[in-house]
Amino acid sequence: MILTNVSTVPGKTIVEHFGIVQGSTVRAKHVGRDIMAGFKNLVGGELKGYTELLQESREEAVRRMAEQARTLGANAVVNIRFATSSVAQGAAELFAYGTAVRVE
Amino acid sequence: MLEIVLNNLGLFLFVGLAVLGYFAGGLAERRHYRSIREREAELVHLPVVSSEDILPDRPVARSCLVTGSVVVSIDYFKRILASLRNLFGGRVGAYETLVDRARREAVLRMKEQARRRGACMVLNLRLETAVVGRSADKKRGLGSVEVVAYGTALVPPRG
Amino acid sequence: MKFTARLPDGSVNVPHTHPLVELAWLGAGLAVAAVAVFVVLGWAGEYAAARLPVAYEDWLGARVAGTFPGQESPGLAGRVERLVATSPPGSPLHAYRFRVVVVDRPDVNAVAVPGGTIAVFRGLLDQARSGNELDMVLAHELGHFAHRDHLRNLGRGLGPVVLGLVLFGRDSAVSELVANLCLTLEARYSREQEAAADRFAVDLLVAANGHAGGAVDLFRRLAAEAGPSLPYVLASHPHPADRIRQIEARIASRGYPVRPTEPLDRPAGRPPSE
Repeated sequence: MILTNVSTVPGKTIVEHFGIVQGSTVRAKHVGRDIMAGFKNLVGGELKGYTELLQESREEAVRRMAEQARTLGANAVVNIRFATSSVAQGAAELFAYGTAVRVE
Repeated sequence: MLEIVLNNLGLFLFVGLAVLGYFAGGLAERRHYRSIREREAELVHLPVVSSEDILPDRPVARSCLVTGSVVVSIDYFKRILASLRNLFGGRVGAYETLVDRARREAVLRMKEQARRRGACMVLNLRLETAVVGRSADKKRGLGSVEVVAYGTALVPPRG
Repeated sequence: MKFTARLPDGSVNVPHTHPLVELAWLGAGLAVAAVAVFVVLGWAGEYAAARLPVAYEDWLGARVAGTFPGQESPGLAGRVERLVATSPPGSPLHAYRFRVVVVDRPDVNAVAVPGGTIAVFRGLLDQARSGNELDMVLAHELGHFAHRDHLRNLGRGLGPVVLGLVLFGRDSAVSELVANLCLTLEARYSREQEAAADRFAVDLLVAANGHAGGAVDLFRRLAAEAGPSLPYVLASHPHPADRIRQIEARIASRGYPVRPTEPLDRPAGRPPSE
């Protein structure tokens, strides 16, 4: 599966498109991470736990989107966009969407 | 003396945390900026554009999505400074630094991922900023932001 | 297209003022705003307090009744009743229904609580040697009620508390600290208020007893006994020597007679039971 966030796949030609595909996941941080982040909040700096959590979640969202594209018979997703939103306190939705296409 | 401290524990904690935040946060920030500048200088030869139309001179063998993300939090001292600034309005310098650090770090991580994959260019850079963590809790105010940078890495053929 | 690798100036997006400089400016601004609000709210509180009907004060008093837990003393309440009865008909004191509570605390102090409660601390009773002295203390507190000092100070204390709540919110440690400091019922009256209450007390004492005996006895004893650690009443009130001087000046200028005092049966600690 080729993933790009431009409208083409550079070096290849799009021969067929299947419309929008999307993947999303809602994740909550767990208490342990939150407590550590609370300490880190005092001195500032990177909250590694959160970075990893969100990175994993985003990968999960992309995987789900690619899975959706695969079921459509696509071999690439172009014009991918990410979105993050806080749906509830302590939980975040990671969302990825793009256009499923077949390239040659 | 001890009695005074115990009676006003809240105040002493507040001042203590602010002082801790000032020194620890300031140190962390200076180190982070030094690291950002070094890595930016190192990666300056990998072009990143926010457009789709600028293509490299070389042929492209494959392309792939690259991302870089970071969650950065502000220290206690700057949070106080920002909440004071909230009363008067104007430039919230404390947060300007925070988002600047987060964006540059996210872009750097994306470029590092692109370089690991042997890319010669990153097309269509997009940056997304989100407020995460405790800050979803309005009462405690802003505290940390996540920045994700993503783009399409173009990898030239081997050899 | 040609690519030239160059680093942009990264410093355009970050502030150039030192955070401590910014803190100093913001702190100064906050201080100015706080003083302004303090003055305005304090003035408004005082204005409102001086005009608050006693009926409303009773309602307020019911909220804070538990602040000074202690035993009601009918004996002292009787003394208060006698004092109030001799005050002029137009006095706001007639609108109150006074209670006297003996609080088991070693401080030599008495407090005027909103709603007409006088809290007398055990430490003060231990020091009193005559009924006239007790009358003087109670009359002094009645003076605070008559002048609405206890409410004025509460009103003045509200200023910083409201300010703290607005600035830092309800959950903040700062708000709590400000509230603890400013909303105390054991208000520290100003020297003017204390002097006015003393003058009021002497007049009432003479009206009730026919003479000014015992007006300064307690202060004399406190001033003499005060060792290196000043009792509470000395720390929060004007210097006893000043008070004695002013009370005696009042007695002299009005030509009040001074006669011997009636000693208490049980001087130590117990409230007198007439």
